[in-house]
Amino acid sequence: MNIDFPELIWLDEQHDVSLDELIELSGLTQQELRHLVESGALIPNKLADDDWRFNSHCVVSVRTLSRLKQDFELEPNAFALTLVFLERIRKLELQLRDLDQTQKT
Amino acid sequence: MKFKDYYEILGVARTATADEIKKAYRKLAHQYHPDVSKDPAGEEKFKEIGEAYATLKDAEKRAAYDELGRHPSGQEFRPPPNWSGSRGGQEYSFDDVDLSDLFASFSKGRQGSQHQGRSMPIPGQDYELATQISLEDALHGTTLDLSFTVAEYDQQGQLKRVPHTFKARIPKGVTNGQKMLLRGKGGKGANGGSDGNLYLNISFIPHRLFKVVDHDLYLDLPLTVTEAALGATIKVPTLEGAVNLKVPEGIASGQKLRIGKRGLPKHNQEHGDLYAVIQIVVPAKLSDRERELFKELAKASTFNPRAHFE
Repeated sequence: MNIDFPELIWLDEQHDVSLDELIELSGLTQQELRHLVESGALIPNKLADDDWRFNSHCVVSVRTLSRLKQDFELEPNAFALTLVFLERIRKLELQLRDLDQTQKT
Repeated sequence: MKFKDYYEILGVARTATADEIKKAYRKLAHQYHPDVSKDPAGEEKFKEIGEAYATLKDAEKRAAYDELGRHPSGQEFRPPPNWSGSRGGQEYSFDDVDLSDLFASFSKGRQGSQHQGRSMPIPGQDYELATQISLEDALHGTTLDLSFTVAEYDQQGQLKRVPHTFKARIPKGVTNGQKMLLRGKGGKGANGGSDGNLYLNISFIPHRLFKVVDHDLYLDLPLTVTEAALGATIKVPTLEGAVNLKVPEGIASGQKLRIGKRGLPKHNQEHGDLYAVIQIVVPAKLSDRERELFKELAKASTFNPRAHFE
């Protein structure tokens, strides 16, 4: 029996997504994402203007930002700062998890 | 359909102004939003709060909600005949639908009418699912049977909660805490809108022997005092069968011995390693002969493990 498996995207530091994919997955507009890049909150792998690609782990943070924007009616100026904090939390949580696992070994 | 008191959920009077409703929502959202709060019950609570606010912040929806009258929370009820919330005057069966589905469809119907009869594409909802796999599944890759409930329109245009079941192939290379996205496997889009996505959070079922850090595995390796002092060749389990490990003489508790490429595979053909963490153990009870030999050793040995105390 043939089974059609859904397309799967890895969300981690080793894989990447294009700007168009990030727009589609996050629900943010191109303008909002450009604002995030220009303010340094979101860093593409390559800065060539037409070919932005991002580490795919950022999909989760950017999508969270999109939800926060909608649920808290965030102003554009609070945007970049929120993403910086979300990324910092994500990294700290990863460090905490690794530390926790190392301590158990 | 069960009644939900949206005013009660937001903690405001039925006569509250739009500003009071907004303030109450923001206060509760800061407390319970799942991206802000770590309260495990927060997500369910925030769904209620968000649902209540989505209806009460919109004057037209609020008026339609008020038309439903006041019922005790959780009580079964049906909207009155010709209720203004029915989409395009269409009658719902109201079975298998809850109040949030009804008001979501109310706004979708209205968005369509605002665009000269052409319905706006509405993207499907994203879902998030946590699943656990074994280390063996991570080693070889696996196929998961995933199942959750989504709200979808049937052919008659009625909203129903339907089970969503499908298979997903998880390739080898994942590690504990891996996030993945399954495109198009969330809720169905409406009016030609794209289907939502499913976010999968993968964690490992704790293994009886191995602990995981990234793609490396750690195994506690108990040794006797003599094995640690004299060195030994020990049969060590790995996920792919036992291997012989040469333990050098004079090894101490806590030291790690690396067994290359016996950890978990990475997505790029590389492989994590297995670390054997030395634990020196002694028998709780000694035989007479063992005691005699240990005493003899104690007398003969000049080794001082606490030299650095002095």
